[in-house]
Amino acid sequence: MLISKKVEFSASHICRSAQLSDAENERVYGPAANPLGHGHNYIVEVAIEGEPDPVTGMILNLRDLRDILEDRVLSVYDHRLLNREVAPFDSIVPTVENIAIDIWNRVAPCISSTAGGRVKLYSVKVHETDELAVEYRGEP
Amino acid sequence: MIVHISRRYRFAASHRLHSAALTEQENRDTYGKCDNPHGHGHDYEVELTVAGPVDPVTGRAVDLARLDDLAAREIIAPFHHRNLNEEVAAFRSVVPTTENLSIEVDRRLRARWPETFGETLRGTGPCLEKVRIRETDRNICEV
Repeated sequence: MLISKKVEFSASHICRSAQLSDAENERVYGPAANPLGHGHNYIVEVAIEGEPDPVTGMILNLRDLRDILEDRVLSVYDHRLLNREVAPFDSIVPTVENIAIDIWNRVAPCISSTAGGRVKLYSVKVHETDELAVEYRGEP
Repeated sequence: MIVHISRRYRFAASHRLHSAALTEQENRDTYGKCDNPHGHGHDYEVELTVAGPVDPVTGRAVDLARLDDLAAREIIAPFHHRNLNEEVAAFRSVVPTTENLSIEVDRRLRARWPETFGETLRGTGPCLEKVRIRETDRNICEV
């Protein structure tokens, strides 16, 4: 069984790779390649997988899930320039693909440890705009 | 690492749901208001889900500029502000339901996918995983 929680953060980023030429950066990222940066209101949907506890009726107390997301994601990402202030985006481009993978890496170990192995992270879906979202399910 | 990208596009089009293989009464019973001979329209929303590995240099799993160009050519240009029954060849003989529209969008994209993205096997390039069309908030089809 899956249950999901949604949180939001606002952040700025610059989508440019040092390994690409200016022309290549502009072709690949379009206006997102602006070296001065721009921002989005990101929506993060995190789904966890497990069976409801027979006593509480909950897979995981959603307050605990909210606290994990607050501590591991929002306090790190919200109102930040991702390229400068959030590792690993000093070395990889903060595309929405890489943001979804990074959030997975931050949250997955906490979910498992909080629920004593009973619950695991199923997916992280990050909406960058109404038109673009990326879901990561831990696939290698 | 494989991720699943959802990209949304919108177009507005008119259609009439009416099958030549059914009687007038059967058409009315089957399609109701959608059988109106003058047609009617919707603001369609097309959501494409593309799965692929994240390129370590660009951080992208699909070249969005190419995907947007493909969608502009294969979906927006032929469908936006069109009468689907009259102006899209596929719907001369097939009823432009959301189901058939989804199948047509999927067919058009797959026909041009290899020349747009090259190798499309999982692990080597982006693959089209899902086409989801929202005709109204209450009518959504997925292939």
